[in-house]
Amino acid sequence: MTGGDERRGVAGEVIEVERLIAMANQIGDFFAPYPPERAREGLRNHLRTYWDPRMRSALLAHIDAGGEGLDEGVIEGARLLRESAADKSGYYGPPQA
Amino acid sequence: MPNPRKPEKATITICAYCGVGCGFKAETIGDEIVRMTPWKEGKANHGHSCVKGRFAYDYWRHPDRVRTPMIRTSIDDSWQEVGWDEAFAHAASELRRLQATYGRGSVGGVSSSRCTNEEIFLTQKFVRAVLGNNNIDNCARICHSPTQFGLSATVGAGAASQHFDSVLQSDVIMVVGANPTEGHPVFGSIMKRRIRQGAKLIVIDPRRTETVDSPHCLADVHLALSPGTNVAILNSIAHVIVRENRHDPDFIQSRCEWREFELWAALVGSGEYSPDTIGPIAGVDPEDIRRAARIYSSGPRSTIYYGLGVTEHSQGSTGVMCLGNLALACGMYGREGVGVNPLRGQGNVQGGSCLGSWPHVFSGYRFVTDDATRASFEAEWGVGLDSEPGLRLPNMFDAALTGHFKGMYIMGEDPVQSDPNQNHIIAALRKMECVIVHDLFLNETAKYAHVFLPGSSSLEKDGTFTNAERRISRVRKVVEPLAGYQDWEVTVKLMNAMGYEVSYAHAGEVLDELARLSPAYSGASFDLLDRVGSAQWPVDTAAPEGTEVLHMQQFPRANGRGTFMLTSYVPTHERISEQYPLLLTTGRILSQYNVGTQTRRTANSLWHPEDVLEMSRGDMQVRGLSDGDRVSVTSRFGSTRLKVVESERVNPGVIYTTFHHAESKANAVTSDLSDWATNCPEYKVTAVEVTKVVPAEWWKGESVAARPARREREAAVAAVEEVV
Amino acid sequence: MWTEVRGLRDDIDYGTPPRDGEPVPVTVDGVGVTVPEGSSVMLAAAEAGCPVPKLCATDTLESFGSCRVCLVEIEGQRGYPASCTTLVAPDMVVTTQSKKLTKLRKGVMELYLSDFPESEIPGGWSEFHETLEAIGLNGHRYGEGRNHFDLRVDDSNPYFLFDPAKCIVCSRCVRACEEIQGTFALTIQARGFESKVAASQDETFMESECVSCGACVQACPSHALVEKSLFPGGYERA
Repeated sequence: MTGGDERRGVAGEVIEVERLIAMANQIGDFFAPYPPERAREGLRNHLRTYWDPRMRSALLAHIDAGGEGLDEGVIEGARLLRESAADKSGYYGPPQA
Repeated sequence: MPNPRKPEKATITICAYCGVGCGFKAETIGDEIVRMTPWKEGKANHGHSCVKGRFAYDYWRHPDRVRTPMIRTSIDDSWQEVGWDEAFAHAASELRRLQATYGRGSVGGVSSSRCTNEEIFLTQKFVRAVLGNNNIDNCARICHSPTQFGLSATVGAGAASQHFDSVLQSDVIMVVGANPTEGHPVFGSIMKRRIRQGAKLIVIDPRRTETVDSPHCLADVHLALSPGTNVAILNSIAHVIVRENRHDPDFIQSRCEWREFELWAALVGSGEYSPDTIGPIAGVDPEDIRRAARIYSSGPRSTIYYGLGVTEHSQGSTGVMCLGNLALACGMYGREGVGVNPLRGQGNVQGGSCLGSWPHVFSGYRFVTDDATRASFEAEWGVGLDSEPGLRLPNMFDAALTGHFKGMYIMGEDPVQSDPNQNHIIAALRKMECVIVHDLFLNETAKYAHVFLPGSSSLEKDGTFTNAERRISRVRKVVEPLAGYQDWEVTVKLMNAMGYEVSYAHAGEVLDELARLSPAYSGASFDLLDRVGSAQWPVDTAAPEGTEVLHMQQFPRANGRGTFMLTSYVPTHERISEQYPLLLTTGRILSQYNVGTQTRRTANSLWHPEDVLEMSRGDMQVRGLSDGDRVSVTSRFGSTRLKVVESERVNPGVIYTTFHHAESKANAVTSDLSDWATNCPEYKVTAVEVTKVVPAEWWKGESVAARPARREREAAVAAVEEVV
Repeated sequence: MWTEVRGLRDDIDYGTPPRDGEPVPVTVDGVGVTVPEGSSVMLAAAEAGCPVPKLCATDTLESFGSCRVCLVEIEGQRGYPASCTTLVAPDMVVTTQSKKLTKLRKGVMELYLSDFPESEIPGGWSEFHETLEAIGLNGHRYGEGRNHFDLRVDDSNPYFLFDPAKCIVCSRCVRACEEIQGTFALTIQARGFESKVAASQDETFMESECVSCGACVQACPSHALVEKSLFPGGYERA
């Protein structure tokens, strides 16, 4: 059972996008010292594991709309959420290579 | 001259206050608690106590205790007393209505570290199994969530590696962002005992705390860093260790991931983190950074104790990782006298962390996204469970403001007083349609609630607490619950009212269920605790009476190895400016506990009738302030008023206060910034300006009766009269 | 290493802190018992089930040897050594009860009693009272002499009071403040008859450095330091 389809009823983003941008950029700052591929994966794992799906889709919608205010590394990492990782469960520790 | 009356009966239980978790004997005559005495066999306190646990227990029968459930349609209405059943029915129908109207994810819950393991476990069960989402969080979110994140990342377990007594075998004690003699006094006493025996002490704290300098206990090095520069300082200490080859390659080779070590060593070893670079940034002498690094790495047994001064930053999780990295690099894990140990503020923060009151993990820190884990809970609970992480506490409030989050069950928490950016929290609560507060008192948050369920104090219920050293101890009922139900029974009845059938004969059965679903607690039971007194998790078939020191052979990570995280220093966005030139940081005082809900209702207020602002002489002179002046403290977020006192404990540019009194509104000032990983608020750094308040202005708009100091004093005197 | 704290038991007071060490066999009142090296004779006696009467000793504090109540006889040793400060030796033979010992203990306790409020002797349940009972004493042979009955009760702390009239100056409170709590707020002021327990620079407890941890109250053997909550009608001297 997943909650995504039932989470309806109210229009608009679940959290103001400015707040999501600030949070996502902070996460990006943490993973920045890792090699680029791992930094992207670290960001993906973090968003996948800790963010409510409504927050993730709001962030992705913002990226689709140009991603203004988001750091480039954040955009790349967040995009991985769509491409490969919906089925992966989370993990602790350094971003996997 | 009368002889004292002699208690008839003693019930062994655990203190409800800080994370030390002292064992106490609650001594009674009939149904009256006549005194609390420290239990000599309490493994956290060995017969010692502090002013809170020993004496400040009378809040339990304070006249302010609410004894009857109450409901109201609007927060502008007055409360209407109702029976329990009506309160449950009302709360249940409101939550169902909200879910039908706004979606299943529009409601959630938060549990408290003042609640028992059983209550915390049931609250997550209520949210996950009955509300059908993962919008469940606990108050560790705003204090030690970075501990869980940072230590899980490096060593695989978000908990203290040692037991408290282990400090008696330490040669070097490094205290970071904690003040044990005030915040965790009984541990502070045992730590000072070791320091008197000759152990070295390193303190990293912006303030010259009581831990830095007290009789027969003087820090060998005190790094009085500028608030917000923990990561810079800890990286710089690591820099010295790596550059001077003071790390332990054998330990790293045999116990850790070498590749990650190399990446980390390259990062912290770069010139960016040399003491000469970081010293000026953090406001400390580079030579002191070198001394701290040399003392810590020399050991031979060095231990780290840390508190909210590490976690409550925008880089809180990074700071915790720095500590894990440092201990791993120096081989300071897996023995007596070493390790990394969080000092927890509330009695059951560790339990709150362990038992799944998180939006992303079930009990035992296992992800809700993990199919196998979820299946085991679904089998036990007989319902399908949400596979996606829910909203965290601050995100619940964010989502309330956008109209997506409408109802909340708040067990034993007071977010209005304890969460950051108070105006934001109040605005969010005002937009919710069903706020259920379950508490001892009509707290600040209850002003915005629609249902009030009276709680039971820890003297009125059965269950367990897990203290800061992972020790699971029994909470035993000493007196009957004033409002008729123990808290765990209230949660069960709320579940029943929502149509979920479940019953437990006693709290021990909740522990049994919790043990079946949480590997580290799998061997815990009331029987075991009655027999051995207390047990540190993991308690399982391999360690049937518990585990004192973690990580002896391997780390609980997939490959059994500890690892290093890259911890770049990213300065907080909260910076001083011309308009806000001072950095405000916050802390605690011995006699008061947290937001003071309990201790302010005892004679402890005689020691601390109000929160005061500490400021250096220079900063006061520049502003024309003298001792005792009323001042206004203003940040970008809000403003509050306090009494200022001159203090040598703070450096110029830094001011300090405590947050024990609602009237101080410290959180009206704190920022909306939070830890990058966990959203733990950045309480420890706020840029502010301080100005003198003209006397006539001070009480403008407030009635005489509302004067905080006077009211506290009156309450204190009343409490004394009741005691004497 | 930590036996001093971990070896404590709720239902027994060994008198001196438990120790780690090689086992040492001793005999107390005919009972053979083995205790760790470094243990006191007092602890060995408690282990053997023959507790020695005591006042200034308790197992949460290092031994002090001031009250002279815990005297024993040790085979091959002259005199009556204090069992709290005498360490066990292999095959030591200890006697805790004899006519001479009882006489000596009664003599000491009578001196304490002569400066203890008479009305407080019956009905008390402090360790001091238990010791009186253990040696079979309920009065003394001295007339009214100099005493401390008129010293002011310090009730400044909201939770406990200090009545110097009941203080036997055993220093347990002072040592608890130092050894257990680590605050060093209490001291014994002056000497001889004038000596008394004082907080900081002879201030009230509330004005002093005292942090109200309760360690002194817990350590006090005579209810001179005592919880106010045990006196529902307030504390008034007769």
